[in-house]
Amino acid sequence: MVETFYEVLRRQGISRRSFLKFCSLTATSLGLGSAYAPRIAYALENKPRTPVLWLHGLECTCCSESFIRSAHPLAKDVVLSMLSLDYDDTLMAAAGHQAEAIIEEIKKKYKGNYIVAVEGNPPLNEDGMYCIHGGRPFVEILKETCADAKAVIAWGACASWGCVQAAKPNPTRATPIDKVITGKPIIKVPGCPPIAEVMTGVITYMLTFDRIPELDRDGRPKMFYGQRIHDKCYRRPHFDAGQFVEQWDDDSARKGYCLYKMGCKGPTTYNACSTTRWNGGVSFPIQSGHGCIGCSEDGFWDKGGFYNRVTDIKQFGVEANADKIGGTLAAVAGAAVAAHAAATALKRAKSGNDKNDQNGGGK
Amino acid sequence: MGANAENPAPAVERVFNHIAATGMAGLPLNNPALRVEAVGFRAWNGLWVGVLVTPWAINLMLLPGDGSVFRALLLDEKQTWRFPSGDYEFMGGKDEDLGAYQFCSLFSPAFEFAAHEDARAAAEAVIEELMSTEGTAVEEAATAQERARLEGRPLVDLTVSRRNFLRGGFLGRPS
Repeated sequence: MVETFYEVLRRQGISRRSFLKFCSLTATSLGLGSAYAPRIAYALENKPRTPVLWLHGLECTCCSESFIRSAHPLAKDVVLSMLSLDYDDTLMAAAGHQAEAIIEEIKKKYKGNYIVAVEGNPPLNEDGMYCIHGGRPFVEILKETCADAKAVIAWGACASWGCVQAAKPNPTRATPIDKVITGKPIIKVPGCPPIAEVMTGVITYMLTFDRIPELDRDGRPKMFYGQRIHDKCYRRPHFDAGQFVEQWDDDSARKGYCLYKMGCKGPTTYNACSTTRWNGGVSFPIQSGHGCIGCSEDGFWDKGGFYNRVTDIKQFGVEANADKIGGTLAAVAGAAVAAHAAATALKRAKSGNDKNDQNGGGK
Repeated sequence: MGANAENPAPAVERVFNHIAATGMAGLPLNNPALRVEAVGFRAWNGLWVGVLVTPWAINLMLLPGDGSVFRALLLDEKQTWRFPSGDYEFMGGKDEDLGAYQFCSLFSPAFEFAAHEDARAAAEAVIEELMSTEGTAVEEAATAQERARLEGRPLVDLTVSRRNFLRGGFLGRPS
């Protein structure tokens, strides 16, 4: 009666060997260590499947594009098998009334037990007429669909913060989904688009473990958004040595120096680009010689040009955690606070137990 | 570059003071309250480890000691070192005077600190915490609990006494 993920995957023609391989890949990508692979397998074999409805509002489909290009073909197949079963108006075969009926069916059958993933956001001006979905304003569909959901995933900068359609003067009043959906846990996975492995990682975590990953105060999963691009950037040694690119194509640019002076937003942007990278770990913008544009940060279109140097770091660049009280940064003063800051920084810097195998210390 | 028989802290300070006066001078990423100081440098497993406070960052620093285990890292190469408190990933830096060094970023930018003394206190706490095993016990307990949860086992193996129950002992918090 109640089917598990494993049963669904087998029905989709995925072999047990592939399934187990997927479990170990997932464990690694989530930073859980390979020891977790059997546990993920266990969960997927025994837990009833959680359906996912994928809605599209005002967006450019770059999130979907990123997602379906998830590096490992297997991860893609498996995760898409989990998703496409239900509803995604871009990816599914069904269309028209037949497709819309799926939403109703899932809502009834899995009341309070399905996940809604939202790509894009609803415009609120003119009663939502700037985005019509099946003949009705998207904001209505969004509210209705989320009403009985267990949790909501906000894909990309659009759903999380508003992105370009919400940039000043925002004529359609495009609004991030957490301003419209209330009373549901919302997981923000910002980026324009988010990294494919981050998207599959978040959704697999939620489907497998049946719970939400740990979030920061802005609602982003800490496992992928806990560090700034700057913290792990491979050009960071040049930053600390005061070696900067001063002009495009100068000698320093050819030497691969730090791009901060060329407007790189790495020091203020929380994302996994410098560690996970893109296109299966091949590269990321800074590695290609261009600064980070900060696409995963709130309001990145309204923060000045991509090539303007970051100068107002105090306002938004600091670690958003308990140290930040009431919107202003609490200064670290006094021994106890210094110790707390130290412990927090070390914990943030600490590698998960899955990471690279080499260990210089013990040898 | 090569072995440092002596504590390299003065050399580190000299080199980074020079960087502060040249390459990093006048950048808005600098916290004007901070200055360059090498804090708590000590010999450890044939290496020198310490915390470097600069106006733009506070980093863990690792320099060659007797030269046996240290390796200069290439750009985009990382090395994980196991300290008593856990594993930390370092990247490689290089300076003409200092030679190759490795560092692990803790604060950058470092606007949390209103005064240099506070940054130094944090740096001292960092090195103490780095070498302490206390944190790992708490983390291991959390990991064990997570494992139990994923396997569907009860979160605590211990029988919870009435007293402990009333104190929230069932939550598995280290007491």
